[in-house]
Amino acid sequence: MTKSIFRDGDIIAGALTAALGTYITVTASRWDVMGPEGPGPGFFPVGYGIALIILSLILIFQRFTAARHTEENRPFDWAGFRRAAITWVAFTASTALMQTLGFYISFGLLTLFLGLFVFEKPLKSALIAGVLSAAGFYIVFDMALGVALPVGLLGF
Amino acid sequence: MNRRILLTTALAMGAALLAPAAQAEWKPTRPIELVVHSGPGGGNDVMGRALVAAIDEAKLSPVRIQVSNKVGGGGATAASYLNEKKGDPHVIGIFTSVWLTNPLVQQEANVSMRELTPISLMVLEPALFVVRADSPYKSMTELMDAAKANPGKMKQSGGSPLARDALVRTVLQAKTGGRWAFISFPSGGERISALLGGHVDMMVIEPQEAGELIRSGKIRALAQVTDARLPEFKDTPTLKEAGFDVPNPPQPRGILGPPGMAPDVLAYYVDLIARANKSPGWQKFLRDGILEEKLLGPKETAEFLAKTETELRGILTDSGVKLVR
Amino acid sequence: MPTNLLWCLVGCFLGTVVGILPGLGPAATIAMLLPMTYSMSPASGIIMLTGIYYGAKYGGSTTSILLNMPGESSSVVTCIDGYQMARKGRAGAALGIAAIASFIAGSFGIVALSLIAPPIAAFALSFSSPEYFALMALGLALVVLLAGDSLVKGLIALLVGLWLTSIGTDLFTSQSRFTFGQTSLLSGLDFMVVAIGVFAITEVLSSISDQEETQVLPVPKGFRNLLPSWEELKACRFAFANGSIVGFIIGVLPGAGASIASFISYGIERAFSRHPEKFGTGLPEGVAAPEGANNADTGGALIPLLTLGIPGGGTTAILLSALVLWGVKPGPLMMTESPDVFWGLVASLYIGNVMLLILNLPMVPLFAQILRIPVYILHPVIFGVSVIGAYSVSGRLFDVLMLAGFGALGFAMSRLKFPVAPLVLGFVLGDAMERALRQSLMMSQGDLSILISRPISAGMLIFAVAVLFLPLLPRFRRLKEAAG
Repeated sequence: MTKSIFRDGDIIAGALTAALGTYITVTASRWDVMGPEGPGPGFFPVGYGIALIILSLILIFQRFTAARHTEENRPFDWAGFRRAAITWVAFTASTALMQTLGFYISFGLLTLFLGLFVFEKPLKSALIAGVLSAAGFYIVFDMALGVALPVGLLGF
Repeated sequence: MNRRILLTTALAMGAALLAPAAQAEWKPTRPIELVVHSGPGGGNDVMGRALVAAIDEAKLSPVRIQVSNKVGGGGATAASYLNEKKGDPHVIGIFTSVWLTNPLVQQEANVSMRELTPISLMVLEPALFVVRADSPYKSMTELMDAAKANPGKMKQSGGSPLARDALVRTVLQAKTGGRWAFISFPSGGERISALLGGHVDMMVIEPQEAGELIRSGKIRALAQVTDARLPEFKDTPTLKEAGFDVPNPPQPRGILGPPGMAPDVLAYYVDLIARANKSPGWQKFLRDGILEEKLLGPKETAEFLAKTETELRGILTDSGVKLVR
Repeated sequence: MPTNLLWCLVGCFLGTVVGILPGLGPAATIAMLLPMTYSMSPASGIIMLTGIYYGAKYGGSTTSILLNMPGESSSVVTCIDGYQMARKGRAGAALGIAAIASFIAGSFGIVALSLIAPPIAAFALSFSSPEYFALMALGLALVVLLAGDSLVKGLIALLVGLWLTSIGTDLFTSQSRFTFGQTSLLSGLDFMVVAIGVFAITEVLSSISDQEETQVLPVPKGFRNLLPSWEELKACRFAFANGSIVGFIIGVLPGAGASIASFISYGIERAFSRHPEKFGTGLPEGVAAPEGANNADTGGALIPLLTLGIPGGGTTAILLSALVLWGVKPGPLMMTESPDVFWGLVASLYIGNVMLLILNLPMVPLFAQILRIPVYILHPVIFGVSVIGAYSVSGRLFDVLMLAGFGALGFAMSRLKFPVAPLVLGFVLGDAMERALRQSLMMSQGDLSILISRPISAGMLIFAVAVLFLPLLPRFRRLKEAAG
C-alpha cells in the first residue's frame, strides 16, 4: 500500500500553511487589533491568519477522506526534482556570488554550470553558451542601456 | 566611535601641521553617487535630478553626478546604504525629516542621522492648510471652531502618521483642544482627490502641488505653515498670524554624507553645494517649487537637526506614537 | 509638427523595448531621460515621454506570452493565458491578439480622454475609500473563479498572497508587520520581484524538472499560425470592450494601478464567459481582456493628470514633474492656458497608438522565433533577465535573493497543485483593500454602513456577491431539474 506523494504533499502543505496561519495570528494579535479609530494593524492579519488555519485543516481533512476512496500510486519524480533543485541552488549561489564577482561573471558561470550538469551538454557547448551569453548581456545592458548591475571586485 | 573620529581628526590635523605644503584640495575622480530615498518621480528624486541639472548647467563639477534610487523603509534603506559607504568620498545623499523620525519609531531603521555626516541643509519645504473652495469655512478660526464643536467628525487627509501633515494636526489639536480624524493615503493624488471629492474636509499640502488648484479656484488656502509669508501667497496668513501660535514642524531637505567624512572631502562638498545653491538652475527650481531657501553649513545643519529631532520627539509623543529610541 | 512625429516614434520604440525587459519600467526610464528633454519644447518632450508610457504597455506582454515572464507589472495577468497559448503553439496568435487588444482599448481610452475628460474626472472624484474597497472586494470575489480545481487551495494561495502584501510598514500606525527585523523589508516586498519569481523562475524550474524537449515550446510555423485566426478574434469581441471600459475606468481612479485593472478585467471576462473553466488553459480572450485593460488604463490615468494636475501613480507622477519642469502647469487651467501642449499630447496619443500597432504586429513572427533558442541557452538567459529585473527595482541584492525564494515557492506550489494566480491577486489587491476598509471606517467613525449607503460601492458589492454565487447557478439549475 504505497501512499502517493501527491496526497502526502497536500498534508504537508496543509500542515505548513496551518503553521503559517498560527504564526500570523499569534504575531498579529500582539499588535493593536482594534483601535479607537477603527481596525488596527493587527485586524486583517489576525483575520486571514485564522482563515488560513481553518482552510488548512479543511485541506488536510479533505485529503484524509479522499484517501479512503483512492489509492494513487504515482511514483515521485525524484530525477526531475533533483534537476530542479540543483538548478535552484546554482541560481541562488550565483546571486550570492554577484557581490564578489559581479553580475556578468556570475551569470556566465551559472550558464556554464547549468549547461554541464543540468542540460548535460558537452563542455564546449556549455562554455560557449556561458561566454556568449555573458558577453551578450554585457553589450545589451551595460553598454547599450547603462543599467546598473552588481559590480564585483573586478570592477564590472 | 566618537573617540575614533576625534582621534582621526587629531591625527589629520597633526599631519596637516607637519606637512603644510602637502595640504592639497580633494577633488572627485570618479562619478559621484547621489542617493535619494524615493523612486523616480518622487519628491527627493525630483530634487536630486534638479540639483544635478543645475550643477551640470553651471559646470560646477568635474565629474558626472548620478542619482541613485535606494527606495525602502521611508529612508531607512538609503540611510543604511550611506552608512555602509563609510570611507567612500564619492557618495552623498539627500535627507529629509523622515531620516530623523524613522529611527525614532522603527526598530529596523537603525541608522540615525547622528552617525552620518551632515553637509548642508538646503531648503525648507513650506505647506499650506487648505479646504475645498465651496467649504463653509473661510478662515482658520472658523475651521478650528467647527472642529472643536464637532469632536471626531471632521476629517483631514494626509500621509503617514509621522509625516509633517500629521504633526501639524497634533500641534493644532493640542493648541485648540479640537479633535478631528486623520485619514492616511499613500499618495498625494489620492489625498487631493479625497479633498476635492468632498470626502475629507481639509488637508495640509505643499504649495507646489496646490498652486494650480488654488489658481483655478478649486481649493482655498486658509493658512500657511511657515514662519514668514511666502511671496507667492501674499494674502494667506501664516498659522501664527491667523491666531495659532504653534511650532511649524519643518520639512527640511539637505545633503549629507557617509559617516566620518574626511575634512577636505567635506569642504569640497560644502563648497559645491554652496555654489550650486546660487546657480540660476537651482534658483529657478526653488521658485518653481515654491521652496524656502535655507543654506546652512555642516555645523549649523547638525545643530538644526538636533533641535528638530527634539521637537519631533515631543510632537510624536503627543500624537500617541510609540517611540523606540 | 514633423519633429514631434519623430519624437513620438522614438518614445514608442523606447517604450516597447523597456516594456519587454522586466524590471526596467517606464517610470524609471522617463526619469532617466528627463534631463535630455530640457532642451526640447514642452510639447515634443511630453509627446516622447508619453510614448514611452504607452509603448511599455504594448511591449510588456511579449515576454509574458513567450516566457511566462511579465515585462511590466500590468502584464502579469497576460502570463496566465498567454503563456498557455504559446505552449499550444499559438504564441504568434497570442502576441497578435495582445497587440490588437492594446490598440483597440488604447484608442478607446484616447477618444474618451479627448471627449469626456472633465466629466469623467468629476466622476472619479466621487470615488473614495468605500468605493475602492468595494472594487477590491469585487476583484477578490473573482478569485473564486480563478481557483480552478480546488477552491480550498485557491483560497489558501489567496490568503498567503494577502499575508505577503502586508509585510512592511502599516501606513496608519507605522507599525512594522512581519519584517523579521530586516530593514530591507520595511517597505514590503516588491510586486515585480514576487511576480517574476513565481511566474518566470518557477516556469524554468518546472520545465527543467519535467525535462521537455530541446525546444521550450512548439514554434509556430507558417504564416497562418503566426497571427490570430478569425475565430480567435471573434471570441475576443467582449474582451475588447471589457478591457477598454474596465481599464479606462480604473485608470481614472488615482491609486488604482494598471495591474488591478488587468486583473479585474480578466476576472470579469471569466465571469461572463460561457466556458469559464477553460480560462488558464490558453484562451485568446484571456489575453485580450488584461492587455486591453492595461492600455485603456493609460488613457484613463492621464485624465486626472491633465484636468486636475493629480498624478494617479508612479509614471504619471513623473510626467507631472516633467510638465512642471517645462513650466507647463498641469491643472484645471492647463487645457485653456497651454492648449498646444494638451492637444499636441492628445494628437500624439492617437498617432502613437497606431505607430505601436504597426511596430508590434510585424514583429510578432520575429519574437516568436525566440522559442527556437535551445533551452540550455534560453533558460539561463531567463534567469539573467529576471535577476536584472529584480535588481533594478531598488538596486539591492536582497530583491534578487527574494526572487530566488519566490521561484522556489512557486515551484513548490506548482508541484503541490496550488494555483499561483490567486496568490498574485491577493498580493495585488490585499494591501489596497485593507487600506480602503480602514480609511472608510475612519471616515465613518467605525460605521460599517458607509459601504452600503453609498450607491456606487453598494452596487459593486452586490455585483461581488453575485459573482460569488454565479458558479453555483448551474448546480441549482441541475437540482431543480432533478427535483422537478
